[in-house]
Amino acid sequence: MKVAYYPGCASHGIAKDVDIATQLIAKDLDLELMEVDDWNCCGGGIMDDKSEPVHTSLNLRNLEKVEKMGYDKMATPCSVCLHSHKMAVDKYENDPVLKEDVDQRLQNANMEEYDNGVESEHFIWVLIRDVGIENIKKHVKRPLKDIKVGTYYGCQLLRPSNVMGFESAFNPHSVMDLVAATGATPIAFPMKSACCGFPLMGSNPTVALKMANNILSSAKDNGSEMLVHPCSLCHLQLDVTQTKIQKQFKQDWNLPALYITQLIGLSFGYSPKELGLAKMSTEYLKARGIS
Amino acid sequence: MEEKEITVNIKKYNEKDGAFWKSYKLSVDKYTQMTEVLRRIKSEQDPSLAYRASCHMAVCGSCSMKINGIPSLACRTMALQSADEKNELNVESMDYYPGVRDLITDIDVFYDKIYQVMPRLIPDDSIVSGEGEQRMTPEDQTEVWKFQECIYCGLCVSACPSVKEDEKFLGPAAHAKGFRFVDDDRDTKKQERLDLLMDSAFRCTSCYMCYEVCPQDVQPVIAIKKTRNYLDDYKGDTPVTIMARKHDDAVEDLIETTGKIKESSLYLKTFGFGEAMKDAVNMFKSGKFKYAFEKDSNVKNMEEIKKLMGEKK
Repeated sequence: MKVAYYPGCASHGIAKDVDIATQLIAKDLDLELMEVDDWNCCGGGIMDDKSEPVHTSLNLRNLEKVEKMGYDKMATPCSVCLHSHKMAVDKYENDPVLKEDVDQRLQNANMEEYDNGVESEHFIWVLIRDVGIENIKKHVKRPLKDIKVGTYYGCQLLRPSNVMGFESAFNPHSVMDLVAATGATPIAFPMKSACCGFPLMGSNPTVALKMANNILSSAKDNGSEMLVHPCSLCHLQLDVTQTKIQKQFKQDWNLPALYITQLIGLSFGYSPKELGLAKMSTEYLKARGIS
Repeated sequence: MEEKEITVNIKKYNEKDGAFWKSYKLSVDKYTQMTEVLRRIKSEQDPSLAYRASCHMAVCGSCSMKINGIPSLACRTMALQSADEKNELNVESMDYYPGVRDLITDIDVFYDKIYQVMPRLIPDDSIVSGEGEQRMTPEDQTEVWKFQECIYCGLCVSACPSVKEDEKFLGPAAHAKGFRFVDDDRDTKKQERLDLLMDSAFRCTSCYMCYEVCPQDVQPVIAIKKTRNYLDDYKGDTPVTIMARKHDDAVEDLIETTGKIKESSLYLKTFGFGEAMKDAVNMFKSGKFKYAFEKDSNVKNMEEIKKLMGEKK
């Protein structure tokens, strides 16, 4: 199966390991990820603050590229990119004043009015809906038995649910289902859909780190040995930034945080190195006999 | 009408005994609202049960609580529809606000935040004296309409993660109310309002929880984003808005020049060399330094990007 693939800036930059793991497991699952031609940044969370018409236009440009490639679905590994494209389409369809402005911009750039021919989806939705959990299980060569994995959803994958549309904003189970497929034990915890604080790292980092700490502590307190998440930006906040969190909150524990396709990749038999895992995760897995 | 028996577990609370769960069984049909369930429990089984409810039609905003963990208005929640496969429901008071008794909380902090944003129209003196006329275009009315639909139920603030961690954040409801007047041309206090709202607007983490739980579809996070839209010309900077300005301008600049965000450039532009170096050490410690300078190619057709980002014709 071929799917248009929008990696997003982070997974082609500082969260490169998200892309590495996603590409690896997609290959095993016969998912051909066709990178969107000449894609641009969605500007999620920033450009919609600065100018809604500019934000919407930038997102519609990507979707138009997908349409020209002949696909009706665009998958992304990043919850913020997903949210940005879906919100842009929602506003374009429901706000006639905004639509008029955007249509003029599209016209200036010799692009056509957007006819909603492309659906933006998270990569994990494609895994669950198109590949199927049972099919994923068939590729598991190394079941991650006895590892308790905190299942984190974050915010923009789920909310607003009337726009995102895949699962309940309060009782989601997509990440749990995928973790269970790897043979690991999924752990639900109270802060599973709270924000990791990444959007505040620019303007208000002290509070941003508190939010990240709430997630990690809630997962740890409920018995998680590792944490998985579905977002390139949560990846930066919960992995690299964890050293800062430990310092700010004087903690003597850590919680390795993996992107969901990295965990699936481990169960498919890939090594932590092949999946680009960070030091904390690699060391923990080594102690558990997984290398 | 077919009825089914449900079990309602209510987290009761009083100052003497603290919090404890108590279960009640009763039969309901598919049209039974949770406010009716609570009324029947109180009148038929437990007169001590304390809760607030008044209009039973999502207008008064009194019956806010958590039903199966979801911040909800009890009157808009159908008991059978919300019950789990064992026909059970868990009912608790809202998060964040101090408990008074059972499902009743003290939401003074919610009102305090609303009062802080001058929640009333302050028109020109000629309007007050009756000499002038207040006019508003249908487009302008559409822009602020949904932000004035708040029924003061308090659900958005109870569910907001930023409010819990940051006392300087005014919270979703106050922002929606405040912005409703910022964007109302009949009002005369736009600058004062922006001085009240701008710093706080950048304390929101854009998690869309308020958008999700609002029973009136007010979409407070959108009001916050629209307030941030005034930052370019805003002169009353605070440390928070200075950092936000640096970061957001850097993002815009990178998209305008390359079509994409290059994190290392963004980081340097936002935080400066010293801070960037500190985080480079963190990246090194975490084993991620190898990705610090990963750079994707620029968008090839930058002409398209420039036209999309430029002024409309």
